[in-house]
Amino acid sequence: MLIEPYVTTLTDTPATNDVADAAEAIDATSSFNYEQALHDCARGDRQALQGLYRQEARRLLGVALRIVRQRQQAEDVVHDAFMNIWAKAASFDATLGSGRGWIYSITRNLALNAVRNGAREVSVDEETTQALDAQTSMDAYQHTTDAFELTASLGKLNDCLARLEPARRNCILYAYVDGCSHGEIAERTQTPLGTVKAWIKRSMGTLRECMA
Amino acid sequence: MSTQASTPDDERAERDALAGEYVLGTLSAARRRDMEQRLPQDAALRTAVQHWHERLLPLAALAEPVEPSPQLWRRIEGSLAQAAAPAAPRRVKTPAGPGWWDSVKLWRGLAGGGFAAAAVLAAVLVTRMGALPGAPQYMVVLVAPQDKAPGWVIQASSPRQLSLIPLGQAVVPVEKSLQFWTKGDSWSGPVSLGLVKPGQTVQIPLDKLPPLQPNQLFELTLEPVNGSPTNRPTGPIQFIGRAVKVL
Repeated sequence: MLIEPYVTTLTDTPATNDVADAAEAIDATSSFNYEQALHDCARGDRQALQGLYRQEARRLLGVALRIVRQRQQAEDVVHDAFMNIWAKAASFDATLGSGRGWIYSITRNLALNAVRNGAREVSVDEETTQALDAQTSMDAYQHTTDAFELTASLGKLNDCLARLEPARRNCILYAYVDGCSHGEIAERTQTPLGTVKAWIKRSMGTLRECMA
Repeated sequence: MSTQASTPDDERAERDALAGEYVLGTLSAARRRDMEQRLPQDAALRTAVQHWHERLLPLAALAEPVEPSPQLWRRIEGSLAQAAAPAAPRRVKTPAGPGWWDSVKLWRGLAGGGFAAAAVLAAVLVTRMGALPGAPQYMVVLVAPQDKAPGWVIQASSPRQLSLIPLGQAVVPVEKSLQFWTKGDSWSGPVSLGLVKPGQTVQIPLDKLPPLQPNQLFELTLEPVNGSPTNRPTGPIQFIGRAVKVL
């Protein structure tokens, strides 16, 4: 597998982009049977839920924290996510997708609902605001470089993202990883709102075709 | 229903774009709420969303893992204990022996496994329960209309009373409730059997109704908190099934 060469500049985003880290993450997830754990949860087995927690809580908290940007709120999201996983485990359908994907979709949905419902305005602390400002200026300065380091561990998605121009790719990543709205992306990238919307729409079309 | 320019391909593309931005996270709060209301009723949209979740999942690895505080798991455990408390009397009062309970566990294990599982359940029920003393004369497996996942079982040991038994914890949106209905083949419309709490077994007397009959329809629909205002089902069907006489 190729190591993707378009890794360029780092912003201050603390992304985990080390190839070894990502490879380790994939190793750790490949041996765990998520579907079995969910099946056991549906039968009322709390150990199974705890097993899922041990397996994924760190990564899920990382995902939630990037989106809601506040530690306590991120822990609330993970708490609610595990309550949902427990309550809905019986409705998980392995024919529609992976167990791991299902768990992440629940967590991301809760985190996105929390920020879209307006919680973000009051929850961004000063340190984060400064970091975001710094990032915005940096992006404006070097606006066609990558804000995220990507690695071959992203698999096919990596190859497909590579087809997008860096500025457009960044829009997708700001949205997915950082939970940014169209408006926030426009601000971060110093790009008109309409352009951001059009870029995202077209980029998603490209990704879909590429990954078909 | 659609404008004259809209072809199935256009619809698919539109659905896919909407699903993609929902998963990506760029929809506004209002549009996210719209989506969440549409999803339970729209299987094609649900599938599109699912595919986008899977496509974009590798990006989740770009967020650096963060060690949770030690309190977090304890908090989750506490909430689980609380959630379980009101739903605890889940065991069914039944005259049957251990074979019955074993099969309940089996069903719950199978719940979510799709229509094949429902068929297996029916077979298990019909063959196993028929042999037991005091066994039900009728049984119904209620499945979700979209994916045919079994969600509830109805057993009736006499034509005068039935038990509705959950196989899992159905999720009901806030400000909605589940309402239980039945309709015999010759009836003019469905009759309400009352509101049902997710995850709870209920015993329902049928003395105001004609005796149970084969093929009698049972369903759970999503209704306003206090039940359907019209005394007819108004919301989407969550689970549906027909009575089978146990031989």
